[in-house]
This record gives sequence, structure tokens and C-alpha cells, in this order.
Amino acid sequence: MSASLLTLPARIVWNAVYWTFDRATWQYDLMVAAILAFVWLTPPAWLGDPTAGGLGLIGWLLSQFR
Amino acid sequence: MTFTGLIGAICMLPLRAIIYFCVKLRIHPNVLTLIGVLINLAAAWALALQRFVLAGVVMIVANIFDFIDGKVARELQMESAFGGFWDSVMDRFSDISLFLGLIYLYSALGRTDYVMVTALAMMFTVLTSYTRARAESLVSKCKVGFMERPERIVLFMIGAFTNRMAAVLWVILVLSIFTVADRIYFTWRELGTTKSELAA
Repeated sequence: MSASLLTLPARIVWNAVYWTFDRATWQYDLMVAAILAFVWLTPPAWLGDPTAGGLGLIGWLLSQFR
Repeated sequence: MTFTGLIGAICMLPLRAIIYFCVKLRIHPNVLTLIGVLINLAAAWALALQRFVLAGVVMIVANIFDFIDGKVARELQMESAFGGFWDSVMDRFSDISLFLGLIYLYSALGRTDYVMVTALAMMFTVLTSYTRARAESLVSKCKVGFMERPERIVLFMIGAFTNRMAAVLWVILVLSIFTVADRIYFTWRELGTTKSELAA
């Protein structure tokens, strides 16, 4: 599959899935930020986490609007 | 400098001092590798007992040994083919130990779903290193895919220190599957290129 044939959003997804970037590049930093956001912001209850406590940031924010 | 590059540079400062002392004491790098593995077993035990913060601290200590062994070998001019082999095998031993600790924990908690998530993450972790090792017997380099050992170790530490191990396991599982697929695709493409070059 040639990357140039893909549209921009599809190319972003392809580059994230087919990872060829080195460490200490801006693409790597972006991936790390996305992973940390998932780990820290997702409410543990959504994942059925057997050990974690608390709501997580997203869960806390949602609880403020209820 | 990128953010992750800056963190790496900061972490290197104390590590340089540790490397200096190991070189001064002329500690054999293979011994450092073994010490790292033994400490990692303690981390696996702490994970099994749900003592996550303790596990995180022990993992930091274990991985200092794991990180410095190659650098000490270079400084002492003790690099060897066996040292590389020993290091790789012990790395797999450490990786699998940590997953086994979590499998023990989740089975003790009666959570079959997370036993399976952890077991699958362990399977794709092993496949991540196997696909690269096998690919590099066929092509010169196969370093595609995000989820390599340093990323996995840092994620384990983050999961342990912030008590978000389930989220970390999902990340390791999904990205390890992509990494294995990337390596299979990369090797298939490279071997295809090599064949067409030979035919030309």
C-alpha cells in the first residue's frame, strides 16, 4: 500500500498502526501523550479494572455534570 | 529536543554515575544482567501480592541493572556474542515473570477476564521479540513497531505507581499485536523486494 495514495486521515492512522518512527521524535511524543491520556483519563470502571480505585479524570468530569 | 528525549537525558545523569562505579569495581556485565533478573523476580512477587508501589520501586532498581550491563561491557571492553545472547534470554525471563505475577494476582482475585488479557499480552510480548529475532535472520534489520521492551517496562512502572494496571495491560496488548503484525508485514515486503532484485 503506497502511503501517497492515502488521504491525510487514513495516512495518520496507517502511520500510527505501521510504526516506523524512532524514539525522541515528535511522532513518538504524540503517541506517548495518547497512551498516557488513555491510561490516566479512562475511568477504571469502564475497563473493569480489578485493582484500581477512583473515577479517573474523565469519570470525575462526567460526575460533575450529573 | 523532544519531551521524551529530555526525560531520557535527565535519567542518564544518575545512570552515568552508577556505570562509573560498576566500571571502577570491574563487575562483569553478565553478573549485572543476572542481578537485574533476580530483582525483577522480586517485582513479579510484589505484583502478585498487589503491592504495586513496591513493585514499581523494585522494577526501577532491576531495570537500572538491565540498562547499564551493555554500557559497562563496552566500557570494560568485555562485549561478547554470548553476553548479547545472555542479555536477550534474561530479558524474556524478566518480561514473562512480571506477567506471571499479574496472572497470579488476577486469578487470586477470581478475574478470569484479566487473566486472559494478561496472558494474551504476554503471548504477543514474546512474539514481538521472536518476530524481530527471526526476521533478522532473513533481512538485515527489522525495527518497526512501537511496543518494544523499554516502552513496556516504563508502562509497567506507570501502571504500578498510579494503580492503573488494567489500562496499561490493554495498551501493551493492543500495541504488541500491531508490533507483531508490523514486523510480519515488514519482513514479507523486504523478502519480496529481495526476490525481485534477485530476479532482475
